[in-house]
Amino acid sequence: MRVFLTLLRREWLAYVYAPSMYWVVVIFLLLMGTSFGMMVHILAEGAATGSVVRMLIGESLFFWLAMLMVVPMITMRQFAEERKLGTVETLLTAPVGDVAIVLAKFSAAWVFFLMLWLPTAAYAWLLARISPESAPIDFSALMTSYIGIAAMGAFFIAIGLLASSLTSNQAVAAVITFAVLCGYFFWGFMPQFGRGVQLQEVGRYTSSLMHMLEFSRGVLDTRPLVFYLSVTLFLLFSTVKVVEAQKWRS
Amino acid sequence: MISVKHLTKVYHGHKAVDDVSFEVERGEVVGFLGPNGAGKTTTMRILTGYLAATGGDVKVAGFDVVTESLEVRRRIGYLPESVPLYPDMRVDEYLRFRARIKRLPSRRLRSMVGEVKERCGLQGMGRELIGRLSRGYRQRVGLADALVHDPELLILDEPTLGLDPNQNRQVRDLIGDLANRHTILLCTHILPEVEKTCSRVLIINQGRIVASDTPEQLKLAQATGHRIRVQVKGPASAVENALMTLPHVQSVTVLKDGPWVDARVESAREIDLRSNVFDLVVQEGWLLRELREDNWSLEDVYLNVTGLPNKSGREIQP
Ligand SMILES: Nc1ncnc2c1ncn2[C@@H]1O[C@H](COP(=O)(O)OP(=O)(O)O)[C@@H](O)[C@H]1O
Ligand SMILES: [Mg+2]
Repeated sequence: MRVFLTLLRREWLAYVYAPSMYWVVVIFLLLMGTSFGMMVHILAEGAATGSVVRMLIGESLFFWLAMLMVVPMITMRQFAEERKLGTVETLLTAPVGDVAIVLAKFSAAWVFFLMLWLPTAAYAWLLARISPESAPIDFSALMTSYIGIAAMGAFFIAIGLLASSLTSNQAVAAVITFAVLCGYFFWGFMPQFGRGVQLQEVGRYTSSLMHMLEFSRGVLDTRPLVFYLSVTLFLLFSTVKVVEAQKWRS
Repeated sequence: MISVKHLTKVYHGHKAVDDVSFEVERGEVVGFLGPNGAGKTTTMRILTGYLAATGGDVKVAGFDVVTESLEVRRRIGYLPESVPLYPDMRVDEYLRFRARIKRLPSRRLRSMVGEVKERCGLQGMGRELIGRLSRGYRQRVGLADALVHDPELLILDEPTLGLDPNQNRQVRDLIGDLANRHTILLCTHILPEVEKTCSRVLIINQGRIVASDTPEQLKLAQATGHRIRVQVKGPASAVENALMTLPHVQSVTVLKDGPWVDARVESAREIDLRSNVFDLVVQEGWLLRELREDNWSLEDVYLNVTGLPNKSGREIQP
């Protein structure tokens, strides 16, 4: 446990020290700020149809851009950078289990991802201040949205971590992750456009778009949470296996 | 401490290490030599558990490097060839991080980090950013990391690579100090360093062990005869031929032509030809400016067993 915490601290500090991570924060805040600005605009025009949280999160193009773009930027360095610097050699020859290493890298990335969302809570506060209505924002919907974002974020980060363990080139890791995430996102339209009842059913169960729409409506369904938890664990397990297999590689 | 039996490592069908076996006893300081690409780094990576062997049986302190890897890694301090470090960390921060993940108890952390910094000449460098350190200081940080958990076995892959002669000397002295407390497997190209610090030498060439003994024994075993070095002023070919005609001469190698002919004369093991050469020079009326024994050095042994040409110069066999 002490070793895990030491590794986690190191991984966390690596984010804090990295100048590139400030760009990630900036890009993220720009995207979510745009999403917020558009929502305020719609509200001001009185053209709002759905709930406020849904406009900000589930239905917003900028929300999805943030999810798809920011995760690859967070995860790309994880293993790729260690390989490039060669520090993977000192790391893996220290008396530390591969599981602890993978979990520490995952946890640090996930915590960083969650921290990004903290400022968005300020949007709700800001809206409550400027809006003439008494309760413009549904706080329970905001909470379920955050839970959904945390679960989906874990899954996305696990994808990025696996990609990063496969290469020593950060850019390659980022591109793979972005491609996979985009593919997964568009798969989410399957319930509408898929042919056949079964495909639609699978689509409904796995569609991140559908999940997010539900979460941002204030519905806390455990099925997507279980889905994200299990695929995340599976991906982390695969990453551990990849790291182990690299000892045998050529 | 180390037991390697029939170790083989194949990369893409290329045998980097081929049926290597050797033992290192506790307390020994073993020099691991060989040309670039001989398989030294590969062997060390297998010992530290970074790479898995294709075949063979490797144990460190009685633990198998594959099935009991954590136990093995606890006991090893490893300095990889490229000295990989995190550029964004400070020296103290890095050493504390490494000490913790190597499970050094908290109460010893502060004193051990202080101690290894002192031993490696890093006093006052604790706040420096590793990314800004010079090559020599990076090497010291790498060494301090290898030492920080007080391991039984040190595995050092070319610790003096890329250092200037001064830094080289400091690292060599440090390794000399360490030899008293640790078992060391030291890979290097600096042969005088090995001759001074190592109790035994392993020479590997093209993935195979070609020599393993104390430096003295290796020199004795490899030395085919008694060698002397002579510098004579006279016509080169005449000097060469005259030297060849001396009794018991096995070979004459002219190392340098010119007005002063510099030659190496080798005879059977017990025969010292120096007085005969002197007589010859007097008799021919040449001039003599050097006449000395030229014993086998570790370098000669190394060049001989790795099959590289034995220094430059023409060689004439009688
Ligand atoms: N990761 C690798 N993949 C393929 N070949 C390698 C790899 N590492 C080393 N080799 C090859 O294995 C041989 C031994 O290399 P190495 O152990 O680094 O030698 P040394 O450390 O003695 O210079 C060389 O021919 C080298 O090209
Ligand atoms: Mg090497």
